[in-house]
Amino acid sequence: MTAFVEWRGITKSFGAAPVLRGMDLAVTRGEVMFIIGTSGVGKSVTIKLLVGLLRADAGEIYFDGSRVDHLPESALAPIRKRVGMVFQSSTLFDSMTLAENVALPLRKHHRLSQKAALVSARERLAQVYMADYADRYPADLSDGMRKRAAIARTLTLDPDVVLFDEPTTGLDPVSARRIDRLIRELADRSKVTCIVVSHDLPSIFGIADRIAFLYQGKVHALASPAALRASPDPVVQQFIGGLSTGPMETPGF
Amino acid sequence: MITAVGAGVLRIAEQVGGIVVLAGHVLRALVSLRAPRLDGRELVKNLYKMGNRSVPIVMLTAFFAGGLMMLQSGPFVKQFQADALAGWGAGYAVLREIGPILIALMFSGRVGANNTAELATMTVTEQLDGLRALAIDPVRFLIVPRVLAMVVTLVALTVIGDAIALAGASVVGHFLLGIEWSTLYYSFVDNLEPYDFLHGVQKAVAFGAAIAVTSCFFGVSVRGGAVGVGRAVNAAVVAAAVSIMLLDFFLTFLLA
Repeated sequence: MTAFVEWRGITKSFGAAPVLRGMDLAVTRGEVMFIIGTSGVGKSVTIKLLVGLLRADAGEIYFDGSRVDHLPESALAPIRKRVGMVFQSSTLFDSMTLAENVALPLRKHHRLSQKAALVSARERLAQVYMADYADRYPADLSDGMRKRAAIARTLTLDPDVVLFDEPTTGLDPVSARRIDRLIRELADRSKVTCIVVSHDLPSIFGIADRIAFLYQGKVHALASPAALRASPDPVVQQFIGGLSTGPMETPGF
Repeated sequence: MITAVGAGVLRIAEQVGGIVVLAGHVLRALVSLRAPRLDGRELVKNLYKMGNRSVPIVMLTAFFAGGLMMLQSGPFVKQFQADALAGWGAGYAVLREIGPILIALMFSGRVGANNTAELATMTVTEQLDGLRALAIDPVRFLIVPRVLAMVVTLVALTVIGDAIALAGASVVGHFLLGIEWSTLYYSFVDNLEPYDFLHGVQKAVAFGAAIAVTSCFFGVSVRGGAVGVGRAVNAAVVAAAVSIMLLDFFLTFLLA
């Protein structure tokens, strides 16, 4: 099947520290792809490269058949409208209410008046069960609530792809499974391609179509949840078993 | 020693370069044919936040600055019995120098520092990246409205401050030095030119632009967490103060 999003031979270093070392990964349209691995292995870097928030040192990135890694900042807006991103820290603007946060891209990209954008924002917040909190500020809400609002804000772009950076990290199990359900529904109902960075095992094995396991700057294993679970690879088994001892090298330990 | 000096020079060159590049982005956005050049709601919000709330502190500063100028020049005026020049001495200094500089420094400490802290916090919490990811240009959405709001606000505050400073000079002249109200009034009217006022306003435009661009630059270029935000605010206030003094010197030379 043709790749909808593809990273080819990506290398990326921060100072003298290499993070990605020739990473290749292809994601097909409409699938839920999880990118997993230990902290610092380059999962978030991988998705930020796609929308130009970081630049690769070498390699090529393709989206819907077009190369996007070499585009200047001014040419990235059309890509970013089609590839939404939900950050680990939600990145809601703390000087705005939830409704104003969600209304912002509606006002900017759909040319709605502030009044119309706020009406639409409330409807979109209702879709993530946050309508009752539309007039609250992000600082007044829990992490899970902020993440749901951030998802609603990203979806205002009607993207073809949504990148989720650790969407369930730090959430209680109930909130985490609600976020999982939102992601799965997004892929199943709206045919949105979801690329999820995570090391939350219940999420990974609960909703992924395929899993890319990053290790030593490359995709070490790429498989369905069942195949990954059955993998005889000791590194994979150490990660999914959460074992402190084994063959895996972990940066910082 | 030489390494440290070299590193310091490189850091300053990098910061000056960054400020110039940011100023270029702002100018390009303002003259761009591609709409929207800036966000109107953000502009109005910043005009209110930066301007309206700065009026009391500027009035207080300006009143006493005007009074101080009268106190300094008063004894000489009285010594030579030149009461008719009292307003000229205080007014000339206030309109051309003390008013614009003091109000700009006050504005930098209050509004510029606040602006840097706000942008720096947005940067370290990835809110700026969040804007970029939503295909919203942070320069047009956040920076341009703030720069415009700061320039407009500082000019408005300088005009208000000039009037209050002249009032302060008059009150001190009358009650502490015993100069008649009418003498003070004619002293201002006969000796001060409209250009003395415009001279200060031109400086306020330049000071406002300098405070705005430096405070925005240090806000968006912050590195690190809370410590980085503190360093950015500190650097922004120092850079703005230095810019104000340098600009004042060169503008006084060029506009004299």
